[in-house]
Amino acid sequence: MKFSQTAQISVAREPLWNFLMDVPKVAKSLPGVESVSKIDDTTYEGVLTVRVGPIKLNLQGKIILEEQNKDQWRAALRAEAKDRMAAGAVNGKTSMTLKDLGADQTELVVETDVNILGKIGEFGQPIIRKKADSMLKEFVENIKKQLTGK
Amino acid sequence: MIPFEYRTPKNLKEVHATLKEFGGDAKLVAGGTALVIMMKQRLVRPSCLISLRSVRGLNSIEISDGGLRIGGLATHREVESSPLLRRRLPMLAETYHHVATLRVRNMATVGGGLAHADPNQDPPPSLIALGATVKATSANGSRVIPLDEFFKDYYETVLNPDEIITEVFVPKVAANTGAAYIKFLPRTADDYATVSAAAVLTLDKSKKNIADVRIALGSVGVTPIRATAAEAVLRGQPLKAEAFAAAGEKAKEAVDPVSDFRGSAAYKKDMAAVFVRRALEKALAGIRQQARAKAAPKPVKRKVAKKKGRRR
Amino acid sequence: MNKKIKFRVNGKKVEVDVPTNRLLIDCLRYDLGLTGTKEGCSVGVCGACTVLMDGDMNSSCLTLAVMVEGRDITTVEGLAKNGELNPVQKSFIKYGGFQCGICTPGQVVAATALLNENPKPNEEEIKDWMMGNLCRCTGYYKIIESIQKAHQFAK
Repeated sequence: MKFSQTAQISVAREPLWNFLMDVPKVAKSLPGVESVSKIDDTTYEGVLTVRVGPIKLNLQGKIILEEQNKDQWRAALRAEAKDRMAAGAVNGKTSMTLKDLGADQTELVVETDVNILGKIGEFGQPIIRKKADSMLKEFVENIKKQLTGK
Repeated sequence: MIPFEYRTPKNLKEVHATLKEFGGDAKLVAGGTALVIMMKQRLVRPSCLISLRSVRGLNSIEISDGGLRIGGLATHREVESSPLLRRRLPMLAETYHHVATLRVRNMATVGGGLAHADPNQDPPPSLIALGATVKATSANGSRVIPLDEFFKDYYETVLNPDEIITEVFVPKVAANTGAAYIKFLPRTADDYATVSAAAVLTLDKSKKNIADVRIALGSVGVTPIRATAAEAVLRGQPLKAEAFAAAGEKAKEAVDPVSDFRGSAAYKKDMAAVFVRRALEKALAGIRQQARAKAAPKPVKRKVAKKKGRRR
Repeated sequence: MNKKIKFRVNGKKVEVDVPTNRLLIDCLRYDLGLTGTKEGCSVGVCGACTVLMDGDMNSSCLTLAVMVEGRDITTVEGLAKNGELNPVQKSFIKYGGFQCGICTPGQVVAATALLNENPKPNEEEIKDWMMGNLCRCTGYYKIIESIQKAHQFAK
């Protein structure tokens, strides 16, 4: 399942990049992230709760920073999480690209490709799609808010 | 599915007390057809199931204030086969008949279905088009919620965790009103709709103008959608041939369907326009048929004496 | 956690002590040894698990055993009386309403419920009532015919 979010943020590219490299901070911008802890320089552990009506998922897993290319202004991370009660698993890749729009304006493009496995996957691809889309939208909004207060 | 406690309160007071005892870990169950599937798949894991099946007196269907009161624990089967509903509001009885299979309809309740809030369900668009309201009861009292303000998101309603739907009220249907629900089912008969549309159309006395109209759609978003913009292009307007198609196109703008095995988003959007138009046409046909039935002379039973004589 | 429940199956009183998460179909098949009812899809769609609860068709794979306290359950084993098959069963045999037989218990239970309500249903009525009982073998023609002609065997 692929998602794409684009946002214009009123911050120059460099400070935005530095913000994004703080993985725990950035992870907390995703709604539902309960905790993020560092294991080593490129690996983090996290817990994400997602609710769709009466269905509550408790995803526990790893976030691995796969690419950190400041020259290209591109970062990519991979996540693998399992639902605690074994209703399924999620694995996905996200890439973030920064484009300089000049005058303290940067375009942030977040592209995500997610696979939902197990029962949650069977159950409702459309529900998941809508939910993931709205979560990623909120994610980008939260980053904006934290950087520009808007 | 995981183990859980099973409670069978005998009345609403006991239901509320049990809800309070277990808090957010409890789930109410009536028919259970939706909930048990989710529990089998471990998507929902309550520590306690509070069964409403022993609570009496919440399944009646009766006329009240000129409208119809349907108890929250009435089954779909009770609604579809109610002689009262079939006479006074056949569109609603037919809508409930469209749901799944008879096995489900024998168990699934009116209130339980609404609380489940799957946007693909049949009853919500019809009830919204009929201007229905829902009565939600908690330990602190009751409140009445218009159904077009009831659904928030996929599987989410405005109900608080301690509230139960005890009743659905369908207000009195005005004179010169036709109601129709059309379910577009290109796949199997027991499926959810690819798209569905409900229309309740009221003409003025002259029957030349549209006095009021309500249009609602199912399977076109994360909740049932009331097509208010489509209604606006019709309300107060003279009845014209092209008006319904125009309303259909306007309704298309209000929907945001997802692509799934029942159809692509684009297809569902196109079909939304088609089925809104067809629902309006069917509602209008209903008004005309009622008028004909009223105007038709009543058959008179006459004794005809047998005449002997030549055959002509 | 367990619960003791009392209900009737095929006219006989039963009492079982089951976990609350026991499904009716599993209770019938394993706790009561009535293996006539089959589990097909597990999600209430195929109808193989059809039983009657107080005369009404029910998906036993979606019903918890604890929900049938005090109720009257009829399974396929309860259709024949005193060793004599009921009219639906006789008709299915005469007119060939089954092939592999896996959906058949559900079909005959559902058809029996139909005939209890409507002794001489027409084809449309049969299709409307029976649409939730799926069959992979017959193509439904013989099922419909069997039900339509079942009244021939009624007393």
